[in-house]
Amino acid sequence: MKAENLKTTLEQNCGKSITAIDSDTENRLFIDVNRDGLKEVALEMMKQGARYQMGTGFDNIDRDGTLGLMHHFAYDKDNLQVTLRSSAPVSDPVFDSITNDVPSAGWTEREYIDLLGMKFTDHPKPKKLITADDWPTDIYPLRKDVPHDMVPPSAEDVAYQIDEAPEGCDIIPVGPFHPSLHEPNHWSVFVEGETIRGADYRGFMTHRGIEKLCTTQISYNEVPFIAERICGICGSVHATAYSQAVEAAAKIEIPRRAEFIRVMMLEIERLHSHLLWLGVAGHLIGFDTVFMQSWRVREHIMWLSERITGNRKTYGMVIIGGVRRDFTPEIQEDTKNILNQVEAELKTIYSAIKGDTAIHKRTKGVGYISKEDTIKWDLIGPVARARGVDIDVRRDHPYSIYNELKFDVPVFDGCDVWSTVLVRILEIFESISIIRQCLDKIPEGEILYEFDDVVPPLKHAISSVEAPRGESVHYVITGEENRPERWRVRAPTYTNLQGVPDMLTGDQFADFPIILGSIDPCFSCTDRVEVVNIGSGNIKTMNRMELENMSRNMKKGR
Amino acid sequence: MKIFYVFVNIILFLALAPFFEGIIRKLTARVQSRQGPPIYQPYLDIMKLLGKQTVISADNPVFRAAPIFALASILAVIAFIPMGYRETALTGYADVISIIYLLTLGGVSVLLGALASKNTYAQVGASREMVTMIMVEPVLAMTFILGAVKVKSLGIGATMFSLSSTGFGISAGVMLVVFLMALQAFVGKQPFDIAEAEIEILEGPFIEYSGPGYAMFKYYMMLKQMFYASLLVTVFVPFLQTGYYLVNIIVQLIGIALVFVFIALIGSTNPRLRIDQAIKYYAVLVVMAISAVGLSVYGL
Amino acid sequence: MVLKPGVVTLKYPFEPMPAPATFRGSPTWDHHKCVGCGACSNHCSARCILVRDVCQELRVMLYDGSRCTYCGRCAEICPEDAITITTEFELATEDTNDVTERMELFMLTCQRCGRCYDMENSNVIERLDLRGYRYDSLETRALIRTTTDQLDQNMLKKTENYQRPTKKG
Repeated sequence: MKAENLKTTLEQNCGKSITAIDSDTENRLFIDVNRDGLKEVALEMMKQGARYQMGTGFDNIDRDGTLGLMHHFAYDKDNLQVTLRSSAPVSDPVFDSITNDVPSAGWTEREYIDLLGMKFTDHPKPKKLITADDWPTDIYPLRKDVPHDMVPPSAEDVAYQIDEAPEGCDIIPVGPFHPSLHEPNHWSVFVEGETIRGADYRGFMTHRGIEKLCTTQISYNEVPFIAERICGICGSVHATAYSQAVEAAAKIEIPRRAEFIRVMMLEIERLHSHLLWLGVAGHLIGFDTVFMQSWRVREHIMWLSERITGNRKTYGMVIIGGVRRDFTPEIQEDTKNILNQVEAELKTIYSAIKGDTAIHKRTKGVGYISKEDTIKWDLIGPVARARGVDIDVRRDHPYSIYNELKFDVPVFDGCDVWSTVLVRILEIFESISIIRQCLDKIPEGEILYEFDDVVPPLKHAISSVEAPRGESVHYVITGEENRPERWRVRAPTYTNLQGVPDMLTGDQFADFPIILGSIDPCFSCTDRVEVVNIGSGNIKTMNRMELENMSRNMKKGR
Repeated sequence: MKIFYVFVNIILFLALAPFFEGIIRKLTARVQSRQGPPIYQPYLDIMKLLGKQTVISADNPVFRAAPIFALASILAVIAFIPMGYRETALTGYADVISIIYLLTLGGVSVLLGALASKNTYAQVGASREMVTMIMVEPVLAMTFILGAVKVKSLGIGATMFSLSSTGFGISAGVMLVVFLMALQAFVGKQPFDIAEAEIEILEGPFIEYSGPGYAMFKYYMMLKQMFYASLLVTVFVPFLQTGYYLVNIIVQLIGIALVFVFIALIGSTNPRLRIDQAIKYYAVLVVMAISAVGLSVYGL
Repeated sequence: MVLKPGVVTLKYPFEPMPAPATFRGSPTWDHHKCVGCGACSNHCSARCILVRDVCQELRVMLYDGSRCTYCGRCAEICPEDAITITTEFELATEDTNDVTERMELFMLTCQRCGRCYDMENSNVIERLDLRGYRYDSLETRALIRTTTDQLDQNMLKKTENYQRPTKKG
């Protein structure tokens, strides 16, 4: 087993830094290291072929006066997820940065510089990431002594410093309000004539403070509803990932019927999301007919969801312990009919798009990023699968009942936007087949697990789910008072966005929207977090009161 | 009588250009399985824009004058062309070169308006519009020159009716094909709406305009569309002439409507091309147009 | 592909378009059945159901529809089935009072211990966290998570107009 090999290798090479290794189940490994050895062990793990997933920082000050930092890695071929845990005293919260060797850790470390007040030595770009430009720099929102609804006084004339443009380039600002972006974020694109030479990103304008909120105000079973509103399109994914994490921490098994229903909702969501993306991609290249037709097909799925769950998009089906509503036989009949209809219409659309040379011209060769760079930046989801990297959480780290279902994972070698189109369309057909298998195999039984005992506090658990955009990872530390102590969400767009400047260089400016669209950006998934509110004169940010309004608008806008 | 024709031309174009635009929008909507706006929607759009406040975002007089130039130039062209196969009072005063000049003036005033505001997006849109104009105007010029070579004169009436007097030949056939292929670029619809209507990606040269200025530019675009469609019908379908003026006009209008249907169908079934891809396409068109003229010199 | 579905534009709002029966619209309260346990407030994900004990006998419950996410948790949780989820979705209005519901309940010798709720509900993860006297600020629509065993007049005064903190601590 790879876990055993890994343990022995690590103990051999960096034994003196490791203080403890323990594992929950055969697929999870928790390694405690001391602060100085963190970088060494992380690099050793990357050498063994790991993929960097995310980092989590948490405030442990009441217990032992330290700030904790964890890095999460995944070995996709061996179904193994490893967490490195380390901590630093709050008086001297300095860690070594691993960004120079693991580029996708860059944003994670910047996030904790802003939110917890950690410092990272040798970080190549320690600029503000999440908090607004006029947020006072000595208030760290994620620390427990900061109340969740604090409003510091705002300031004028504060702006984010954009990177310097390379020689001879103009800067074209894209955003925060721009027709090709779905949510507000700001790209400064450096162009020379029409060719793009680089880009700088200032995002997190829809940061809503969800993680802080759910660790101070909300109890366990309400978090899935907020998790669902992290993103309009992958709502069920976040709710399921969170519930799975808490269930893993509490070590309970939910009824089989509930698992099947959860999988069906996830796949229906994937159908919906890919059809939506197809329309958006068509719109971004100027082909409005594809947009209208694929959204017309998507309407059928939304009406089906309305009948099943009571709402067109925010399904509200998943809570800890199972699901809330059942799939009656009429609903199953309904689903089968709608699936047949969607499949037939999608086949027509697919054959129309496949041969269209005009679409080929706009998407082939555009947004090129090589397979090695994809692995270097740890990109995930259809973006990686279009570049020959064969990863899919449903198959590599099977969760729920995916190990009982048969499905293919489409992988192409094109390394461009056209391949992402093909990957997503083929995934729609796979999802339809998965839902049909579920409908055939669904067993009778309960749909909700009743807890007899409280959820044990201070248990760590990690859960990853394949969202339509890639891998979505949730890390939960259970707490007292019926709510989680720490909840960390890493949405797939977070990782994919870091690779976008690489994809943009060398292409024409007209392709900027379609390249950005090809990662299927969901900025609200990315921004979700920490800080609660700010009132500011310059940048439009949300405060806690507007959380629900915004999520309602998001649902309708999609 | 000929003065009367001038007014008929202008009134006809002003009244019907938004109607044809409405046909395009309705047809595009039907292709997309939706209801679409009512056919008279562009009239309502223009009236609404005329009633709105103008926001002057650039201080120089060019900004305010540019829409007026554009509208004036296209109206001048319309006053010259012989609709209904009757020359108007002004046709004799102009020739092919001045029509080409006036059409280019319309495009240049769009550019001036875009560059007068200091908006980055307008500048990018203006540069694309410039490139498009440079590549596509030659095709238009070649159409006229083809007629001029055939009848050996530069007068408008003679050149536009050249095909009825000298008959269709191979060169005219090639020219027709080229004109049809370039039609989408002339009117600024997919796959070539790179500069003008690229509202989604880059707002284009009209981004800083609002209210009456924008209404004038919109009207200019609609009139330009109708002009190109009528050019196609007048020059390349000359055998629809009857003796009567009114019947001619009606027949030509039906022809124009058919051309608009064609524009709408091609527009809604194609994505937008990038400027560098479009340039390659235009280059091929220019070469074909020149070869058509060359053929006509040899009398073919 | 285009001709078969034809024109799909619906005539709504010129023709009514009712939602299916399972649609989650806005909740309504039946004040005859409500016992004032406060479970709906405890479990509301949007924290828009507020409870305030204005004196020993009177409990005011306020539902602020402007922040409701229509998740339906309140109806699921209610031990007396006093909340129904209707299929109303046409709720746009200029006056927030149209979507606000306010109940003033006379609590007879109630200690607000939560037993009326616990007897109906056995799922431990759905337990009532806020038992006792509640002091949510109805004016500023803020949920206060401190409860007391006896009615505390100081808390009542303090939370009358809750303002968000501008400084740490």
